[in-house]
Amino acid sequence: MSLYYKRRNVNATATMLCWGAAIFSLSWLVMILGALVFEGAKGLSLDVFTQNTPPPGSAGGLLNAMAGSLIMTVMGVVVGAPLGMLAGTYMAEYGRHSKLTVVIRFINDILLSAPSIVIGLFVYTVLVARMGHFSAVAGVAALSILVIPIVLRTTEDMLLLLPGSLREAASALGLPRSYLIQRVAYRAAKSGLVTGLLLAVARVSGETAPLLFTSLNNQFWSLDLNAPMASLPVVIFQFALSPYKDWQQLAWTGALLVTATVLVLSIIARALSRQRTYK
Amino acid sequence: MMATPVPTADLPNKITVRNLDFFYGDHRALKDVTIGLPTNRVTAFIGPSGCGKSTLLRVLNRMYDLYPKQRAEGEVLLDGENILDPRVDLNLLRARVGMVFQKPTPFPMSIYDNIAFGIRLYEKLSKSALNQRVEDALRGAALWDEVKDKLHMSGLGLSGGQQQRLCIARSVAIQPEVILFDEPCSALDPISTAKVEELIDELSERYTIAIVTHNMQQAVRVSDYTAFMYLGELVEFGETDAVFANPREKRTQDYITGRFG
Repeated sequence: MSLYYKRRNVNATATMLCWGAAIFSLSWLVMILGALVFEGAKGLSLDVFTQNTPPPGSAGGLLNAMAGSLIMTVMGVVVGAPLGMLAGTYMAEYGRHSKLTVVIRFINDILLSAPSIVIGLFVYTVLVARMGHFSAVAGVAALSILVIPIVLRTTEDMLLLLPGSLREAASALGLPRSYLIQRVAYRAAKSGLVTGLLLAVARVSGETAPLLFTSLNNQFWSLDLNAPMASLPVVIFQFALSPYKDWQQLAWTGALLVTATVLVLSIIARALSRQRTYK
Repeated sequence: MMATPVPTADLPNKITVRNLDFFYGDHRALKDVTIGLPTNRVTAFIGPSGCGKSTLLRVLNRMYDLYPKQRAEGEVLLDGENILDPRVDLNLLRARVGMVFQKPTPFPMSIYDNIAFGIRLYEKLSKSALNQRVEDALRGAALWDEVKDKLHMSGLGLSGGQQQRLCIARSVAIQPEVILFDEPCSALDPISTAKVEELIDELSERYTIAIVTHNMQQAVRVSDYTAFMYLGELVEFGETDAVFANPREKRTQDYITGRFG
């Protein structure tokens, strides 16, 4: 009996420790979010959404940075996601047993965990240095390189999760491979694929390092892809480090906006992945 | 032991298997199997797990081709044409030889589309003709009355037994010549099982059917012919009544009386 009580006490202690650890780690997240909301909300006004980034000492907003972030993120995903999806599809459907798949998966894992600053530097040498100037195109290139491994990985994982019986059933009807993939496999894995896409967007929209070396920044309204372009993360980086109070305020507000966007995307991704219909 | 059972049926055979060997890598899973499946009859394959009965079934529509390192040697004649020939178009073959699996596998789409999908692939039909074909297939699978009011709901929302009948309807809809059933009732409750068995009986009027089952009563109930397999060999093949009443081989007798397996 004493053994049982001892075990019960150990169990209670361990549970307490788990709770403690969970609360400890969560508290940091709450504090970060709290500080962000507290500091960022102070600067929220219509101006933030309608004015461009100001010179120090005058009023302004984040319009050009938001537009730049939106453009580069969307384009980066538009370029990178199809590549990642096609590669992931190849690996899960066609090359499942081939050596090439093993090699691609290995390289992809490296790419997935490569520091994003390295990708920024790479695009800098390949594009920026040759073109002679920073540009949004280079920013898009860097972001799309970040998108590819994320989407590739989720696509492959989601397709591999589908039961083999589903593929066999489709083949048993005489469906060609391409039909099977488009009409059955993608459909069955749809919410997972969308989740991967949203996670890629969330990841990329907060990236600073790859943009510092590529699209740099732009104080003015610009939609020229061949010119430097503002983006929220880079503006935050620049403004937060500046000695000017109004710039620092805008940096807080920008950070709040980025975080809120990522949060919303993550919540949508979670909601979608929960309503997975096919097991 | 060495006696290779020869097709006993006096009916013409839809499928004739001759000296079939099958390999999973180096493992020989089927050993010199020779058997004929009589046209428009139900042939049951029984035997302990791992005896090769599912493997044999998967050769008949070349399902094994989806996987590397699996190969078949010998001859499998479908209406006299060797389907093991590498030049055979697998999609066309599988449209002629349908298959229903152990676990129901509805596609993630509406009940209607689950059926119409396969038809659209091979035939261009008018809307009304397609509707008719879907209805016929669902009626043929004894599912129509249960789903006619919710054709556009997801096939995944049906019960297990309904899903399995949906899969049968899907196979029937593309008008195959042969239907292979791989333990179609092992995931179903007794009532659904009874419905599926009844269905198999009806389908045998128009289709040549092969069914793998672990349930010997089921083999007795649904099949005209029974093949007993053991360790990759075809041990005994004959009319179901004869095989169960007077097995020629001791191993068959041991299995059907439950002495091993």
